[in-house]
Amino acid sequence: MSVLSHSENISVILSLGLMLIAARLFGEFFRKLKMPLVVGELIAGVVLGPSFLGYFYPNISTIIFTQNEHAAIALSGIINISIIMLLFVAGMELNLSLIRQQGKAAFSTSVFGLIIPLAMGFAIGYFGYNLFGENSTDKIAFALFIGTSMAISALPVIARTLLDLNLFRTKVGSIIITAAMFNDLIGWILFSVIIGMLKGSAHHSLLFTLLYTIGYALVMLTAGRFFINKSMPWAEKNFSWPGGFLSLSLGLAFLGAAFTEYIGLHAIFGAFIIGISIGDSVHVTEKMKDNVSQFVTNIFAPLFFVSIGFKVNFLNHFDLQITLVVLILAIVGKISGAYLGAKLGGLSNKESLAIGFGLNARGAMEIILAILALQAKLIGEDLFVAIVIMAVVTSVLAGPMLNWLLKPKAIGIETN
Amino acid sequence: MSNKELTFQKIAVAIAFSPRCEAMIAEAKLLQQTFHSQLVFVHVGKKSLQEEQYLKHLIHRFNLDGASTNIIWEQGDPVETILQVCQDQKIDLLVAGALEKEGIIKYFFGGISRQLSRKAKCSMLMLTEPKIHPTGFKHLVVEGTDHPKTEYTIAKAVEIARAFGSKSIDIIQESDESKLALIRSEDFKEKEADDHKEALHKEEDEKLEEILRCTDCGELIINTERIEGKPGYVISKFSRDKESDLLILNSPDKPMNLLDRVFPHDIEYALSDLPCNLLIIHSKDSE
Repeated sequence: MSVLSHSENISVILSLGLMLIAARLFGEFFRKLKMPLVVGELIAGVVLGPSFLGYFYPNISTIIFTQNEHAAIALSGIINISIIMLLFVAGMELNLSLIRQQGKAAFSTSVFGLIIPLAMGFAIGYFGYNLFGENSTDKIAFALFIGTSMAISALPVIARTLLDLNLFRTKVGSIIITAAMFNDLIGWILFSVIIGMLKGSAHHSLLFTLLYTIGYALVMLTAGRFFINKSMPWAEKNFSWPGGFLSLSLGLAFLGAAFTEYIGLHAIFGAFIIGISIGDSVHVTEKMKDNVSQFVTNIFAPLFFVSIGFKVNFLNHFDLQITLVVLILAIVGKISGAYLGAKLGGLSNKESLAIGFGLNARGAMEIILAILALQAKLIGEDLFVAIVIMAVVTSVLAGPMLNWLLKPKAIGIETN
Repeated sequence: MSNKELTFQKIAVAIAFSPRCEAMIAEAKLLQQTFHSQLVFVHVGKKSLQEEQYLKHLIHRFNLDGASTNIIWEQGDPVETILQVCQDQKIDLLVAGALEKEGIIKYFFGGISRQLSRKAKCSMLMLTEPKIHPTGFKHLVVEGTDHPKTEYTIAKAVEIARAFGSKSIDIIQESDESKLALIRSEDFKEKEADDHKEALHKEEDEKLEEILRCTDCGELIINTERIEGKPGYVISKFSRDKESDLLILNSPDKPMNLLDRVFPHDIEYALSDLPCNLLIIHSKDSE
């Protein structure tokens, strides 16, 4: 077995240390400016990556991050594991019973908040393929990806915004959270199908990709979830706890990820569905989830987001035209879809618009989706940069817009 | 809310000529005496002379034959027929026997009493161990979740507890922190998250205190407890751990179907494994 040399080891460890500290420093700075932590982490990557450090001090950058091929591969492996764990945590945060309980307004908001941006994104992706899709070989997969990227939301950003504005327990807040969960669930299933279409086209047809995706999700969310729930008390009794939960849950996530990767879907999908199955167990407390979440979001998430800045030169690949198209498409698609759904569900104009702006926040999930699409050569770097900017802008916009539209005293928002 | 609204004026008892039939009638007698209710015995199935005589014999034995007792024999689908009788007879409380736990197939596709509990438009009492010499309900555990139906449920629970001479009841506030936990993956400070949590709990506590202030509890001691976890599951577990004899829950907000059993929530956790007798309070005010 080949191992990293002394200098390679130092390079990897040094990179990890610098990435974590830079992510924290930049993240905290942007948090003070009332922006999501992820914005700072991305900027840290841009500063440490080819856009800044690599551009102005290429020698230092090369020594630290890309001194040799083996160290870069090791770092890449850690980043891949980070994405899997991030999606696992995102899955744990989904509350299936909340989605099941949703009333008419939440249901119509969920459906229209998904379908309208998906359809608009698909149409722009399909007809604008020659303009944006230069990197993709599959027109349908590209159009589907653009649709999916317009459809998902950022649950943590939304939850945080609702809490800050004291809207968390209102009817509007509940609808936004439920619809965001529904959109994420369907969004990641769709993304898995798209990646499956690309990866699996050599081995199996679209029909099989669909069957594998839906089959895996169904089996894991029913039988898998049942067995996980039943075995939790046994594990708690026989293993040290909650340490045992941390290793078992992440172990299962990696097994699920390996399985979906093996059958031609993306590894993240396996981890995401395992996350939902584990998170839904009645024996898994919020404290236990919190342990995993803290571990992943404070170590692996920053590594992942900083690494994005290494992969792409944001300055060279910033295209105003593409960025504006993506931004307008995302905002118009999501807000109009959610607005229409909420209106059909019986909410007022102002509430419906607020729900639209609330769901419009894309945050970290959008960035993960985009980097995976970039890795799969589904999109080019210009479009990737545009999507990252869109994710940041929509997240930053959500708070002020909700505040403006829903000053609680002004319209007497109905609480649950 | 007047006292008249709070009593079970008309109680229907689903009869199934099982070995527990006699105990069911004894329990019905106790309920009738306690709440001064009219009783309606409902049996769905072909009327046979033997069963008719047996039922009459039991009713006579428990001194239930009189103007306040009625027997209805119907044919058809048991669940739909019983629900129709409840609607036609303007029943306040439907009583049925139920197994603590059903086999997985029966649970998913529906035993009669569980199907009734998911669809009934009146309150429903599921008796897991009806007794020939019933003792009533002494240790009640009641749902205290922040919900429009809770006020009515607590008022009803207090009345039942007082009617059966209970000394105290436990009101459980179930805290589902899953939504709140979402911010933990975002840029949060522990104190900030705890402050948010505390503020939400305080708001709920104040609402519950207001409900209890407006409820005539008499000498009854009210214990309130907040438990974190999945609603329906945690109260069920608490009820089992405390060996309570009656768990009182709000009725579901919408009719439950197969998907609610596959992806269980709220009352389905209790129905999947009844910790004790279960009373589902259907709040007519919230319809």
